[in-house]
Amino acid sequence: MPPKAPKPNLLVIIDDSSFDLRINSGIATHIKVFTQILCFSSAEEGLDFLVENLDNPQIYPHLILLDIQMPEMDGFEFMKRYDKFPDNFKKGSNVVMLSSTDDLQDITRVDSNKNVFRLLKKPLQIEQLKAIAEELYLLD
Amino acid sequence: MTIIKVLYVDDEENNLSSFKANFRRLYEIYTATSGAAALDILSQTDVHVVISDQRMPGMTGVELFKKIKKFNPEPIRILLTGYTDIEALVDAINDGDIYRYITKPWNDIELNNGIQNAYDVFKTRRELKEKLAELQKTNDELNRFIYSISHELRAPLASALGVINLAKLDNVYSDSEKGHEYWNLMEECCNRLDYNITSTLQYYKNSRYTNIKEEVHFEKLIQDLIIIHKLANNIDDKIKFEVSIDQTEVFLGDIFRIEIILGNLISNAIKYQKPDEENKLIKIDVKVNLLDAVITIVDNGLGILNDHLNQIFNQFFRVHNQKGTGLGLFIVREALAKLDGKISVESVVNSGTQFTLRIPNQR
Repeated sequence: MPPKAPKPNLLVIIDDSSFDLRINSGIATHIKVFTQILCFSSAEEGLDFLVENLDNPQIYPHLILLDIQMPEMDGFEFMKRYDKFPDNFKKGSNVVMLSSTDDLQDITRVDSNKNVFRLLKKPLQIEQLKAIAEELYLLD
Repeated sequence: MTIIKVLYVDDEENNLSSFKANFRRLYEIYTATSGAAALDILSQTDVHVVISDQRMPGMTGVELFKKIKKFNPEPIRILLTGYTDIEALVDAINDGDIYRYITKPWNDIELNNGIQNAYDVFKTRRELKEKLAELQKTNDELNRFIYSISHELRAPLASALGVINLAKLDNVYSDSEKGHEYWNLMEECCNRLDYNITSTLQYYKNSRYTNIKEEVHFEKLIQDLIIIHKLANNIDDKIKFEVSIDQTEVFLGDIFRIEIILGNLISNAIKYQKPDEENKLIKIDVKVNLLDAVITIVDNGLGILNDHLNQIFNQFFRVHNQKGTGLGLFIVREALAKLDGKISVESVVNSGTQFTLRIPNQR
């Protein structure tokens, strides 16, 4: 178990469904862990934003909630590109993938990616998000 | 009706002319004076029946047929030959290079019958091929359909459940008694739909996936399943679970199907409890030995009428007034059949049900 990180700042949510962006940012607000939540409606937008701010310590995504089933670029495509980010960036940034199914194929693909912290089935439960935050960060 | 296309190959021009004279009204006829010329025609035309003389300079009839079979096995091949050649043909016939041989000199009726029969075979084979392609297409569509059920249908449902979660967190329904009731009803409906989608998928996957051998740890598996199904059925801790696992032997089996089977039975035991029973109890007992895992799941719930007992494993059979798709136990039976397992049930109305399973250890 790696040491826990200090209290996180930024949560990034990437999902093509505007409903799920609204719902999951709402749920994340309730756990009162993140000071800032940013939503992106496509993997491309999310990547563009992260790449532009790679050197900006003010904008560092401690946690990324990433939908799997998205048109054009899906969650796995996103991860292929995310894997190219510098190691010291990835060290403190955790990706949680969200799927609307418990498809076996999704599970095995997630298992094989070391940069994915966990796979969760939608709908995201507040208890699950809380548990992940407690596992990763030093909360008071 | 399609006109039958026949290619006749013979190095003697006279034979070609008499063939044409005899059959030109019945068939669309192509002729060639050598194997090479025949192959040339076949590369451009969709011929149904090829008739060839055996003795030709350059390439014999059998050699020609072997070549044709290689690049297009569809045209049916008839060989014309004298009695003396038969020894040399045995292999070719046995290898399936030749559909029929007709001795020379041929007579019209025999040759015509040969062509007709050959065309029938051609037609049947082509139809079979088309049906197979059709079936393959239907199968692919079914795969895509199931994929879309699992993703496109479930995604908005998960969103709806998410909204309900959020509504609870934001205390939207604490204000009125009715509001509370309505949100709960909505959640229950969504959960039921979710369950239906999941069990339909389970059924489909069970009929498709090949059997995988894995080590099964029943203690962990059953504890996980209890947690999942308590959550899925929205129950508090009022049901007592007594789990006893006797596993010292390694058990190898198809964990995916075993999970489906036990999950459905545990879920049923939870669902069909008596609402006003004080001491709700589910007992799960597992004994693993070298040969089998014997599992009993006993509840003190509603029980099943004797008349219904032999129907509960049927597709879409449901007990009146109960929720469920009528798929659960059907899926259990189907999955067990794939594992060569057995199941039996005993039940007394209003006092409980016992399922006993035997799943072979695949060591």
